[in-house]
Amino acid sequence: MSDVTVAAIHSALNGLALRQRVIADNIANINTPGYHAKKVGFESALASAVSGGTGAAGADVQTSLEPTRLDGNNVNLDQETLSNVDTGLRYQLMLRAMDNEFGLVRDSLRTA
Amino acid sequence: MPLFGAIGVAGTGVTVYRKWLDAISDNISNINTARPTSAAAFQARYVVAQAVTSPDGTGGVQVGGIAFGSAAGRLVYDPQHPLADAQGYVRMPDIDLGNEMTQMIMAQRGYQANLAVVDRAKDAYQAAIQLGRN
Repeated sequence: MSDVTVAAIHSALNGLALRQRVIADNIANINTPGYHAKKVGFESALASAVSGGTGAAGADVQTSLEPTRLDGNNVNLDQETLSNVDTGLRYQLMLRAMDNEFGLVRDSLRTA
Repeated sequence: MPLFGAIGVAGTGVTVYRKWLDAISDNISNINTARPTSAAAFQARYVVAQAVTSPDGTGGVQVGGIAFGSAAGRLVYDPQHPLADAQGYVRMPDIDLGNEMTQMIMAQRGYQANLAVVDRAKDAYQAAIQLGRN
């Protein structure tokens, strides 16, 4: 079991969980005048961390630059909903990967 | 193709159909918007869908542009109207309510169809994530 793998999966899970919280925040503010949607990015930071030999990477939250509606709000409900579905699936995939990592430990303990 | 690509492709369809619905509701709400004969009539907006083609195989659809209805509209004799000209005419938009309603049904069904694709794709991807378990 590699430390980099566990750390990378952990970073991905953290980033995805943050993205889901931010999506919830955006949808909650769909009718707030002047509210700008927020976007979470962690993939490129994680990719360079993994190629640099560590798996720990943080996520950054950026404000969306999409054009706003007349009330100054730029939350796009269908985009947020679909992003929520996508993020949920990615989270499941990462949990599965973490499960497989610990499965290796389980197997080796059983062999001993 | 990105991870979970089908959801993204269906998402582009959802966005186009939502914009089409927005345009239809704008047209219907302005169906009785009168203008003086010296000005152009309210012009109906029609969303033009356009296929997205990208080299990595990710397809989808986008709003390619907006087509406008007739600026001439139709002249209606209504001498009591505050905007009426000396001959008693105002300019009304040339929007057919029956046409707008049928387009609204098409847009609504298209929106629902794309969301159904998202649902099915999600089930399929979830099954793929469970692949090889137990």
